[in-house]
Amino acid sequence: MSLADFVPFLPEIFLGCAGFIVLLAGIPLGRRGSRPVIALAVAALAATAVLIFLVGRPAAGPQLILGDMLVVDQFAVFFKLLVLAASALALVMAAGYLDRAQYSGGEFASLILFADLGMFIMASGANLASLYVGLELMALSVYVLVGYFKLEVKSNEGAVKYFVLGAASSAILLYGISLIYGTTGSLDLETIRVTLAEVPHQNFLLLLGIALVAFGMLFKVAAVPFHVWTPDAYEGAPTPVTAFISVAPKAVAFAMFLRLFAGTFAGEVEHWRMLLWIASAATMIYGNVAALTQINVKRMLAYSSIAHAGYALMGLVAGSDAGTWAVLMYMAVYAFMNLGAFGFVILLESRGYAGERIEDFAGLARRHPGAAAGMLIFMLGLAGIPPTAGFMGKLYLWAATVEAGYIWLAVISVLMSAVSLYYYFRLVVQMYLKEGDAEDESPAEMLSDRWAGAAIAVCAVMTLAIGLWPAPLVGWAKSGLSALGLV
Amino acid sequence: MDFLVVNFAEILFYCLAVLTVAGGIGVLVFKSPVHAALSLLFTFVMVAALFLLLHAELLGAVQVLVYGGGIMVLFLFVIMLVNVKTLAPEQAFLSRLAPLAVVAGVLLGVLIAFALIFGVLVSGHGDGTALRTVGGAEIGNTEAIGAVLYTTYLVPFEIVSVVLLVAMIGAIVFGRRSAGLEIEGGGGES
Amino acid sequence: MIDVCRSLPIWLIPALPAAGFVVLALVGARFPRRWVAIVGAGSVGAAAAATLCTAIGFLGRPPETGVIEERLWSWIDVGSFEIGFNLAVDALSLVMIFVVTFVGFLIHVYSTEYMADDSAYSRFFACMNLFVAFMLMLVLADSLFLLYLGWEGVGLCSYLLIGFWYSDPANGAAARKAFIVTRVGDTAFAIALLLLYKHAGTLDIQAAMAWAADNWAVGSGIAVAVALLLLGGAVGKSAQLPLQVWLPDAMAGPTPVSALIHAATMVTAGVYLIARTHVVFELAPTAMTTVAAVGAATLLLAGCSALVQTDIKRVLAYSTISQIGYMFLGLGVGAWSAAVFHLMTHAFFKALLFLGAGAVIISLHHEQDIFKMGGLRRRLPGVFWTFLIGSASLAALPLVTAGFYSKDLILWAAWSSDSGSPWLWAAGAGGALLTAVYAFRLVFIVFFGDERGHVERRPGLLILVPLTVLAVLSVVGGFVETPSALGHVSFFFDLLDPVLPPAHATVAGHGTEVLLQTVVAAITLLGVGLAFFLYVRRPAIPAAVKASPLGAWLCGLWLSGWGFDTLYDRIFVRPFVAVAGLLRADPLDEISSSVARVIAAGNSALSRTQDGRVRTYAFGIGLGAVIAVAVVVLT
Repeated sequence: MSLADFVPFLPEIFLGCAGFIVLLAGIPLGRRGSRPVIALAVAALAATAVLIFLVGRPAAGPQLILGDMLVVDQFAVFFKLLVLAASALALVMAAGYLDRAQYSGGEFASLILFADLGMFIMASGANLASLYVGLELMALSVYVLVGYFKLEVKSNEGAVKYFVLGAASSAILLYGISLIYGTTGSLDLETIRVTLAEVPHQNFLLLLGIALVAFGMLFKVAAVPFHVWTPDAYEGAPTPVTAFISVAPKAVAFAMFLRLFAGTFAGEVEHWRMLLWIASAATMIYGNVAALTQINVKRMLAYSSIAHAGYALMGLVAGSDAGTWAVLMYMAVYAFMNLGAFGFVILLESRGYAGERIEDFAGLARRHPGAAAGMLIFMLGLAGIPPTAGFMGKLYLWAATVEAGYIWLAVISVLMSAVSLYYYFRLVVQMYLKEGDAEDESPAEMLSDRWAGAAIAVCAVMTLAIGLWPAPLVGWAKSGLSALGLV
Repeated sequence: MDFLVVNFAEILFYCLAVLTVAGGIGVLVFKSPVHAALSLLFTFVMVAALFLLLHAELLGAVQVLVYGGGIMVLFLFVIMLVNVKTLAPEQAFLSRLAPLAVVAGVLLGVLIAFALIFGVLVSGHGDGTALRTVGGAEIGNTEAIGAVLYTTYLVPFEIVSVVLLVAMIGAIVFGRRSAGLEIEGGGGES
Repeated sequence: MIDVCRSLPIWLIPALPAAGFVVLALVGARFPRRWVAIVGAGSVGAAAAATLCTAIGFLGRPPETGVIEERLWSWIDVGSFEIGFNLAVDALSLVMIFVVTFVGFLIHVYSTEYMADDSAYSRFFACMNLFVAFMLMLVLADSLFLLYLGWEGVGLCSYLLIGFWYSDPANGAAARKAFIVTRVGDTAFAIALLLLYKHAGTLDIQAAMAWAADNWAVGSGIAVAVALLLLGGAVGKSAQLPLQVWLPDAMAGPTPVSALIHAATMVTAGVYLIARTHVVFELAPTAMTTVAAVGAATLLLAGCSALVQTDIKRVLAYSTISQIGYMFLGLGVGAWSAAVFHLMTHAFFKALLFLGAGAVIISLHHEQDIFKMGGLRRRLPGVFWTFLIGSASLAALPLVTAGFYSKDLILWAAWSSDSGSPWLWAAGAGGALLTAVYAFRLVFIVFFGDERGHVERRPGLLILVPLTVLAVLSVVGGFVETPSALGHVSFFFDLLDPVLPPAHATVAGHGTEVLLQTVVAAITLLGVGLAFFLYVRRPAIPAAVKASPLGAWLCGLWLSGWGFDTLYDRIFVRPFVAVAGLLRADPLDEISSSVARVIAAGNSALSRTQDGRVRTYAFGIGLGAVIAVAVVVLT
């Protein structure tokens, strides 16, 4: 380990320091609402992105640093930038929300930054130890964020459930890691990959370890039946937190999933592929079918987010280059669509409360045509209808799945996409075709919040732009492949 | 008698392992929270003994100090402050799902046991020197851990410190009385 | 200069109106009217300037392959399936973008005054800009997929603009009719594209055409099928038999819309499509004959209908159908360049006529009945003279009008080409008589005779200047290509030569050509004279004919456009409605609704698993662990 090793690590160091500074700055700045401190945090995120461009990129090929604990490669950079974008958007959306609910922004913003640090480690970990502590840092920050509105019962409840189940799943993940260490004698991903070729193919200890690690990862991406925490946590959490955790942690969980299974455990693919096939199919079916009758938009989007994890799992099942970069692409696409959709839930207010019910959207097109059009874009995107980004994302996943020969999985996902139209369009029907209760004197209104509005606009533009012009993102996602030793 | 002498470590291991698991089950079945907590303490101590058996003396000591000391005291404090005498019967372990849960648990246990037994039979077991071996030279257990923590595992070690910081922030966020925003400069914060 | 022009990116041409649309759609409602006008007309004007620049570059240094290609980006790229956003300029698209941007710009300028009092000013310009953008995409497309996208896009804009005044249900009905009828053709077009893709493996126009030429034998079934399906798309968009019924009703939109979309540009997209895919048609003689027959029949039927209409815009609408019939006739006999030539001159004079009619209509406070007009010659002299020039060009008055040169080329090809016949020529010549009569009937009734109707306002400069420019183009536009007896300028055909092959002509005497030209010219003059006699000298004669039983029946038939609407209502709409009524309680629905019931049942079962208890959740996770371990360890 030399001093030069620390140079590509500067973005992470900076992010950690920024989290601390934001925490402290929140005390004096907090007296003027949450906006100043959130602006500071967003600036820190932007600076981190700049640092990544300056020093955090691989010069040529993957580069192991700091005692082989971390790897700097395009794959990690892709997810790091995605995390930064998602956090910045969620923070900007949160500013007005926190002020309205009278919660301070300092701790909130610093927790998001620390969660980002954890996710950076998850995205670039080259060792099971660093991956695990990164995961725990992310998870702990997120538990606190989910329960951030501590005076609200739902927020508390969601946080406690998430924490208890999350801790249990961590323990199981750790058990799996220990078994892998026990059989291969190393925590280093590359060493494990090499050793896997040498150990007897039917090593049950190793397989048990892989199964338990898969368990931990499936829990983090909220795949069925490990999704159980999702609806309660998503519904209970403050909406900007829901927007954040449904996007960024899920994306990096897929990053870790890919690095472990498409990279390190690729040699044992015949053992884990069936599990992921089942999980993918079950997740798509469960998420979409359970979303049908939800009356709370946040809960509906929670199930929808479960379903999307199922779609993305198809890329892992395919186990090919095309499948892998389709997952990268899908995570980016899904991030913008989902953040945008939650943005509208943040801004909708009904009689002084958050407008979270489906009926609150009734007649929105008449009162706020622009907002309704924006929501329409996100619903079309989530349903996967061209020319939105959602269509592109699903198209590449389907192409990879069919190419790899998993026709039935693709068929299930197409059928379930059709089912998903029902609940996405329920919202659209409410907005455009329902007049709203005529006797209702105070229908739900969109709050005017320039910050959140701007963040939503960014999401909408990205959703359309990627749909119309996916080439740059596709190219970038493809460049992330070499890192996994797949190309 | 020879059998006992030769396989003394193994026999001790299995005894400790059974006791550890028994302690864990005790946490679940004891009605009184204090008893459950003491059962947990018993489990911690047994785990510490397992560490000693593996020649991981430092970990054994840390296990006793941190878990048996700090965390257990915290548990007992909470139990006494909240003043729970017994767990209400309807909250007891048994529920509708209990038979299914038992079946699932047994299945999982059988599967894991199957994997462990066959896995060990196939691959044998390690020599237990991983922790003591740094660069091929045998040095003291504590030194070895220190050396590894500050060199190879520096990044995870530092990240763990951030985890603790986040835990502290979480405690502050949940612990203080007000919602957290002091726009008027009121003194709700402790 | 030429290098600068060549370096101008082509994508700017459609992007400028598209940008205009985005600006107007997003913030147009908050703009003052002047800004809306500047953005709306300015963006198309800028596109026209870019077109001019591209044209200079193209003509100054023609590309060796005859095509300037511009690869923009790849939209979908999955395995061997690639859809790109690529543009291409060749001589044919150059003519088209020239027509679209220049005529479009003039119509936009005109609209700034014409629509000045409308409350939805910015919506109008937003839709018009969007239309221009889609139309440019259609003609610049390098692949049939992109062309199809533009094709549907202009259809959408047409729908939006026909129903522009949506508060009147009749306008909405007209918009729907246009959309649905053209959709019939679009379906055929889409099937043609899929067939072509299935065989050729690409939708890139040049590659697909080259593949077809190499692999399909002349007269092979697949070539005929593709050509006929493409023709189906073309007749829908271009309002030819049997899908012509939507165009007269489409006059419900504002007059500039009729001028731009339903006269000059969109309706001629079918002609463009056939010219673009002429390779396939050349492989399918049957389809060629069909094209010519459709054109000939349409031009006669629509010409008759135009004779008896009383609404000034409907006269022009039938006239448009009839003129596009000429273009189809030209295409059908292989005179590709002549058809495109007529497309261009028609765009000039028909836009002029519509804009002139629009000027008359607003002058008389939205009066469209020609029998409530009259004697406007003196009150609206500027409109009169330009309208007269337009009508002359439509009627193809010999020597001095653009319409004469283009129509003459089509008729000559109809006679002389391999696939032509005297019958087709006779139909065209008969149509020429009809055209001259209805064109000048309009002029004489509206601008001559007693003054009827009260002129409320006189058109301003923003209306008169576009009229004048179009009038000039309607005259000089023809001199870019003249027959051999009259100077033999062949600039236009030379330009198109690399794209569109000349018609295969049997050796026909030069004398025959001059003779036929003279005959047609005489027929035209006869028609004008007949109109003058019937509508100025002896207005009693047409009235008497109309009063006679046979005349009244014929008049009614022609007025309703040969009763196609009633026919379609009987054989398509009513049976469909009846069948739909019968199927309301369709047993087959049970299959789909049972799927819905299964899903709903699954939903309620799954909802029960999410009961809010951590204990249940933990059980779920535990079950998952069993499955995970079992699957991984045991496989």
